[in-house]
Amino acid sequence: MPVRKLLNRFEKREVVTAYFFLFPAVSVVVAFVLIPVAGTYYNSFFRDVTYLPRKFVGLANFSNILSDPDFLNAFRFTLLFTGMTVAIETVFGLLFALLLNEQFRGRSMLRAVVLIPWAIPTIVSAKIWKLIFDYSYGVLNFCIISFGVSSDKINWLGAPIAAFWALVIAEVWKTTPFVVIILLAGLQALPKELYLQAQIDGAGLWKRFRAITLPLIRPVLLIALIFRTIDSLRVFDLVYVLTGGGPGSSTKTLSVVGFEWYTSDLFGKGSAVSVITFCIVFAITIAYLKIGRFRESLQ
Amino acid sequence: MVRTGICILVLFTLLPVVWMLWISLVPQPDFLFTGETAYSLDNYKNILTSKSLHFIDYLRNSLIISIVAAGMVTFLSSFAGYAVSRMRFPGNIAMPLAILALSMFPPISIVGYLYRVFASMGMLNTYGALILPYIALAVPLSLWIIMSYFAQIPRDLDKAGFVDGAGRYRVLFKIILPIALPGIFSAFLLVFIACFNEFLFALMFTVDFRAQTVPVGIALFEGLHGEIPWGNIMAASAVASIPLIALTLLFQKYVIHGLMTGSVRG
Repeated sequence: MPVRKLLNRFEKREVVTAYFFLFPAVSVVVAFVLIPVAGTYYNSFFRDVTYLPRKFVGLANFSNILSDPDFLNAFRFTLLFTGMTVAIETVFGLLFALLLNEQFRGRSMLRAVVLIPWAIPTIVSAKIWKLIFDYSYGVLNFCIISFGVSSDKINWLGAPIAAFWALVIAEVWKTTPFVVIILLAGLQALPKELYLQAQIDGAGLWKRFRAITLPLIRPVLLIALIFRTIDSLRVFDLVYVLTGGGPGSSTKTLSVVGFEWYTSDLFGKGSAVSVITFCIVFAITIAYLKIGRFRESLQ
Repeated sequence: MVRTGICILVLFTLLPVVWMLWISLVPQPDFLFTGETAYSLDNYKNILTSKSLHFIDYLRNSLIISIVAAGMVTFLSSFAGYAVSRMRFPGNIAMPLAILALSMFPPISIVGYLYRVFASMGMLNTYGALILPYIALAVPLSLWIIMSYFAQIPRDLDKAGFVDGAGRYRVLFKIILPIALPGIFSAFLLVFIACFNEFLFALMFTVDFRAQTVPVGIALFEGLHGEIPWGNIMAASAVASIPLIALTLLFQKYVIHGLMTGSVRG
């Protein structure tokens, strides 16, 4: 019997001890992640508001949401926000990582300094940027007026486009350090001989970068991309504090919309939007992995 | 070219932080326009002594919650990491991957259900309501960091311990853990920082100063007459950030190591 063969491969006492070691960690995760997520999925099929009895409504919440302008806007906005921030972070992250890969005095000090935006709370970062973009007190408006770029203060957080860019800039500032550290790790693992050989062969800086660096850091790049994309799709703290979803509802992300529905007791709708958010995260992660594998098989 | 790059990097990283400190030392946030530059520590005195602002309470809550959560997470992950990296049992590859997959869930899909559960158990506005989910959220990261660290420790050490007559527990505590301490400390640091900065759960599960954490406190800061007290907010932000920045600078080796191993799980 296959089961008996399986059990013979493992020493029984070892398996029991192993499970005992694993049990606490696994059970906490199951209790506070797996079960809530399952519960949320389950709840998304119910009409769950305070003033009406709870009723199974199948996919009604979902079809409801898909025609809700708030949701559609949040969906579009979240994808746009994620695309823009991940793209900018990756470029900046790569540039800064290349910089930190060079030898110079104070390099490890600089490496630590680069982590500062990562270390401070997201809320603090959001408040700082909110003040920078502030209409009356902000540094940005101050610079604009003193350098004569414009004679009027600009209401950054009052226009949807400007608010979008304010969010992107704040997010890039906060999370680029993470990308830098990951890419730096990848860069430092590259063998120096390849570069020396290329230099001897007469390849220029850009050629060395394109032919050696880029292909070899692809796996690390993919990891950074996946992590940043997942985190960006789930963004909540920054938006809640920097713009509050405003002006109007123009900068609400999926998590913000879900939060608002939860706190207005529209539990079924909140659950449904959470399900959709997860599906998007899942789909994009699978897409990244597939693209990564595809490219690797091309090498 | 490297020098320009360094300048840009430093400016990019530090200007907002400098701005935060600057505002915190000035009584009126519009000092740029009015030209008043009377620096003072009034804002700091304000937030640290004012009872109605509860900032000390927020600090206390955050510290206790973060330290307890980080401690428990690393404790549990040490056991689990030891098992996964050294012992043979069905699922010793599937389990870490499953936990990794669970870390992908957006917090928004957890928060609604947990709110209901905590509300029905009367656990809202307690430390436990935050510590337990934080542990669950931090286990994937911590497990992978500690696991990779354990994997680098040669199994011969275990075997030497067994030969000398020690059981699994003694081997773990006396031999392996002391060597793995750097990795465990990395995990502790990262989890501590993450718990300290967490916002969504703290916002949903806490209601007043008895359990609210620093991020919630700073986010909801309100002025006496409806105007936003930027000086106080920045002072509070500075007080919240400086310990974290100090930790990161002091222990940058551990932080960077943790970030790197925690990410190479792909």
